[in-house]
Amino acid sequence: MTKDLEHQFVTELECNQNIVHKVCTLYTNDRDSHNDLFQEITIQLWKAYPKFRGESKFSTWMYRVALNTAITLYRKSKKSIPTQDYESVMFKITADEYDPTEEQQLKLMYNAVKQLGDVDKALVFLYLEDKDYREIAETLGISEVNARVKMNRIKNKLKTILNP
Amino acid sequence: MMDELELLKRDWQKKDKQLPQLSFDEIYKMIWKKSSSVVKWIFFISIMEFLVPHLIYLVPSMSKNLAVWKDLGLGNILVISNVVQYSVVLFFIFQFYKRYREISTLDNAKKLMSNILKTRKTVKYYVIFCLSLIFISFIVMAVGIYLNEDPMTALGYGYKAENINPDKLKTTLVATVVVLGVVVTLVMGCIYFLLYGILLKKLNKNYKELKEMDI
Repeated sequence: MTKDLEHQFVTELECNQNIVHKVCTLYTNDRDSHNDLFQEITIQLWKAYPKFRGESKFSTWMYRVALNTAITLYRKSKKSIPTQDYESVMFKITADEYDPTEEQQLKLMYNAVKQLGDVDKALVFLYLEDKDYREIAETLGISEVNARVKMNRIKNKLKTILNP
Repeated sequence: MMDELELLKRDWQKKDKQLPQLSFDEIYKMIWKKSSSVVKWIFFISIMEFLVPHLIYLVPSMSKNLAVWKDLGLGNILVISNVVQYSVVLFFIFQFYKRYREISTLDNAKKLMSNILKTRKTVKYYVIFCLSLIFISFIVMAVGIYLNEDPMTALGYGYKAENINPDKLKTTLVATVVVLGVVVTLVMGCIYFLLYGILLKKLNKNYKELKEMDI
């Protein structure tokens, strides 16, 4: 019985691991911390798995636990500087046709998002994942109106970071 | 700004191919690793906070102190205070366990943070209670010395201080005990605040940010 559950969980997580990797990309700066946070999220997901009744999609449920772990439960072990090697893998721009202006712009944007606070990052993450404000509000525990207001403030913050 | 964010969104959604891919076995190994989450640390430290004051009583020199209390004529007070202390401790352990059970990663972020901080508060009250108890016991001891005829013998020192004015000796002893009480209480308080200050700094900041949104 437990074996079945383990197998089922790991298979589902394997299929949906991109979500966790994306959260890790946003919240950590080097490969070690990335793996560290990935592991912590995996442990939290596994601990919560028996309570997952399939009321929502596995992926929706994952967003919540992954973000909760990143904002509330995870403590960065050390302040680290991004390594060249990690940066080139995680922040390589995926513009289809090579466009130097666009690439430069994207690079600056990624850097700006990295400088935001934990909660702001969570909002941006859900926004980038194309979640609507209702879902963003529900995940964070604020009202929909407030989620909109907050997102607008974040846009202004990003503007200030980009054009000091 | 809108355009840039849209650009970022498009790029973000194309990222999937660059992300690392872990195999079934790699993930399988991870689920048996130990968590290092904040909640776990709070839980461990709190258990320590419950246990340490009681372990101190087991140290031989502290048991000798019990005899001192008796000699100072404070035996009854000690028994009563112990009964009170243990019932309060039991109450706190029950409360703490209840709070700990409430913490679930399935809640929304704000509720989760609020529950962790509530757990923290329960432990905070317990620590304040313990610190007051330590301080009060020092004060009671000071009063005991003040009322005792022969404090030196009661404190377990065999010799008589002959050349010293007994009143002066008594005042010095009382002052020493009071100062010691203040110092011990302050040191314990500092350790406690440092411990949780560091542990909960990030959580407190994030929680405040979310809470301010809803006012």
